Amino acid sequence: MNKYWIVFKKSLKSETIYRAATLSGVAGSLLGFFMQVFLWKALLGAGVRQDTSFSDMLLYVIINSFMLELTRTNVAAIIENSMIDGTISMELLRPMSYKTYLLTSALGKNTYGTLTRTIPVLIISAFFVKGVSIPDLHSFLLFVVSAFLGILLMFEVTYLAGLLAFWLQRCWFIEFYLMGFERIFGGTMIPIWFYPEFLKKLSFFLPFRYMTFEPINFFLGKTPAREAWLPVLMALFWLVVLNVLDRCMWQMAVKRLTVNGG
Amino acid sequence: MSFIEVKNLSKEYQIAISGKGISGAVKSLFHREYKVKKAVWYISFSLEKGEIVGYIGPNGAGKSTTIKMLSGVLIPTGGLVTVGGIIPYRDRKENARHIGVVFGQRSQLYWDLPISDTFELYESLYSIPKAKFQKNCDYFTELFDMKDFINQPVRQLSLGQKMKANIAIALLHDPDVLYLDEPTIGLDVTSKKVLRKALKNINAEKNTTIILTTHDMDDIEEVCHRLIMIDQGQKLFDGTLNDFRTRYNDGFSLKLEFEGLPPLWQESGAYELLEKDQHQWIIKASNGITSKEAMIYLIEKYNPANIYVEEERIEEIVRRAYALN
Repeated sequence: MNKYWIVFKKSLKSETIYRAATLSGVAGSLLGFFMQVFLWKALLGAGVRQDTSFSDMLLYVIINSFMLELTRTNVAAIIENSMIDGTISMELLRPMSYKTYLLTSALGKNTYGTLTRTIPVLIISAFFVKGVSIPDLHSFLLFVVSAFLGILLMFEVTYLAGLLAFWLQRCWFIEFYLMGFERIFGGTMIPIWFYPEFLKKLSFFLPFRYMTFEPINFFLGKTPAREAWLPVLMALFWLVVLNVLDRCMWQMAVKRLTVNGG
Repeated sequence: MSFIEVKNLSKEYQIAISGKGISGAVKSLFHREYKVKKAVWYISFSLEKGEIVGYIGPNGAGKSTTIKMLSGVLIPTGGLVTVGGIIPYRDRKENARHIGVVFGQRSQLYWDLPISDTFELYESLYSIPKAKFQKNCDYFTELFDMKDFINQPVRQLSLGQKMKANIAIALLHDPDVLYLDEPTIGLDVTSKKVLRKALKNINAEKNTTIILTTHDMDDIEEVCHRLIMIDQGQKLFDGTLNDFRTRYNDGFSLKLEFEGLPPLWQESGAYELLEKDQHQWIIKASNGITSKEAMIYLIEKYNPANIYVEEERIEEIVRRAYALN
């Protein structure tokens, strides 16, 4: 699949053009990192929970920002824009799958973002972290697998939301909801460990926690090896469901497409 | 069966009607009325491999919509299209492999990167063999004089430069069919000429079928053998350029120059005085009169110093044809 590899490379290359954006991105991510670190330090210092150590929290913050960076690009907004200005007609002229094209170009962008915005955080955080438990190989591999599935899952959900633009013309408000769901049920703001029981239970039945939270759990070794199959299987299950759903939706969406003027 | 078959092709879509002013806009939030627009309505034609066809019509006639259905971007609401045996909107990707498309108003290029980067993408998109890719790249760079800007980011190029690059991209993989939707907007006179010549060459060498929409009748006159005219989504004319002339042409005009003051004009049913000034007349001869008859008649009657016969330009004919329908 050479062509998608080129799409990936070109979209990564496009990102490198804007130096000011890159630099301010680095500054922003460092700022965000420090804010979270001090917030959690204060909260844990006040004795919120005894079973979560500060170094766990620190790892949570780092891995979380890494995962968020890898899934940052909002494909829904991209689909919406190309619907509005008609660019979609150019993209459909190419002998390639629109979905895979979106996925690979988003990955290109996100890879650049991860490289430039997460690495500084990693370097800086090396000064804070003392005696952090680096995961064993087993946990690490599980982390890699579930992170990979998480990225795909995140893509599927936003892609599906983006397809709604074919009906609604504008779908930014859906992205708004999605972001909210992600924060609450995906545990990207506050780890789900701290949630009340019913929210915790509810989160198992939604796709969001398998995006970034379960990979983090694997990394921190919080998911026992015996139970590892569950989050992986759930992520796969959601991937299949969403994939079937977006295929049907795509079939209907292209029928609705109208691109006027040129 | 012909290479391209279009049968009763139709595309309808809904347009929301918005009331006037802010109150109308607010009202339409609660209750919205729609009207159905027939962008393309029962159009049929067929094309053989290697034909060059001008697809013309006034603004909003449905030209681009037809091209988009032919290229597989839009799905028709009715009718049938096959291009080389493929139904474009059912096999979009397979169809895309065999066609090249230029939409004059849009760009295929990576905005932030030089043209050469987009070329590279298209090389892999169409799995163009290295040698062929290099050959075509060199050919178009040379043809459109792109050497100077091929390594500049696209956002810093002019409209015409981008257009040249877009045309080159559409042709890199030697497509069987080329759809050009207003490919000459933004091009300077020299580039237009170069493009027209290139299109004719490509058609002759590679037997590429070309469908061209344009508002520049010189494009049509120089490149196309055949003309399809549509208006309000319906086909009005389909035939050779010559047929088009005879159908919509109602005569030719003559220019008479006099050495001194022209004589008195005498009204006549067959001739019409269009313009006159101190030394010359422009006279329109109606259909059915041969130029020989007209010249003999006018010379005998008015005795001009010079007489010129002018065939109507296709542009004039098209203008009248739009007005007629």
